[in-house]
Amino acid sequence: MHELAIAQSIVEVVEQRASACQAAHVKNVRLQIGEASGVQADSLSFSFEMLAGLSPRLEGAHLLIESVPHRAYCRHCAREFAVQQFIPCCPLCEEWSSEVLSGTELHILDMEVEE
Amino acid sequence: MSGGEVRLFMPQVTIAQNILAPNETIATEIQNTLATLQIRTLNIMSSPGAGKTTLLERSIQRLRGKLNLGVIEGDIETSADAERIEATGAQTVQINTRGACHLEAHMVLDALNKLDLTRLDLMIIENIGNLVCPAAWKLGEDLRVVVMSVAEGDDKPAKYPQMFATSEVLVLNKLDLLPYVDYDLDKVKRQVLAINPHLHIFELSCRTGAGLDAWCEWLLEFARGK
Repeated sequence: MHELAIAQSIVEVVEQRASACQAAHVKNVRLQIGEASGVQADSLSFSFEMLAGLSPRLEGAHLLIESVPHRAYCRHCAREFAVQQFIPCCPLCEEWSSEVLSGTELHILDMEVEE
Repeated sequence: MSGGEVRLFMPQVTIAQNILAPNETIATEIQNTLATLQIRTLNIMSSPGAGKTTLLERSIQRLRGKLNLGVIEGDIETSADAERIEATGAQTVQINTRGACHLEAHMVLDALNKLDLTRLDLMIIENIGNLVCPAAWKLGEDLRVVVMSVAEGDDKPAKYPQMFATSEVLVLNKLDLLPYVDYDLDKVKRQVLAINPHLHIFELSCRTGAGLDAWCEWLLEFARGK
């Protein structure tokens, strides 16, 4: 269950940022999580809310998670395609593509704060 | 006041950062430190019981006199594996994560402080036995090695693709058990190469010693920066 450790890292980054901009309270944190990042959104939200409850600045804060599809580009067919089961193989020409376009994201975009 | 109006007064603060940035900052620091000292580093991962520690024991024994190895042993509890590695004469530090399912860069940084780095050519970090979580945490390694034994079943690449997608080397261990288990070696190789066509594959048996020469030769070349 590495979602707890990832949630801990989010709390660390958010606390630091909130303190730097003197925000009294964080309401929401927006994330982008790639389909191929190996992270379960539900477990991550559960872990984050549990950890947020331990911090006065984050108590009651929620994660707003945007899932990013796993996509790659086939140079041969000059088209994008959806990667199935981690195998970035073009469904048209069956060539393997190392040009993964998205899906491995673990990004914190921004947060909503109350002064 | 409607909910929409409330949100207007709620300032948005941009973060635009990788979630694991705190870990990656430390991992980069480790990588720079080791690169300055010309120490090359491997992060070895597998499920529990695939044979990581035995592979290290056999490798260290064969490379004695040719390489100075340092080993960081990650385990949830006990120092049993570190004691096995220490018995081979390699500098060893045990990390006990006390429940955590993977190593993080700050743990490795602490462990590095306990080693005499001036005497090392190669650092091997043995991660916690787990095919899921360690894949997400960079530890400052140059390469990632995943060890898989044929006794684990041939469905592992399909079930844990991220581990194979983010590693550079695959060691298939316990090949001596192949006649006794239902394991389709060709299927596994086909699958892992579909996930990651650049994966360098070694087939060996730590028990019989078959295949260990090629692996140790590769380790030697890797440590010498070839």
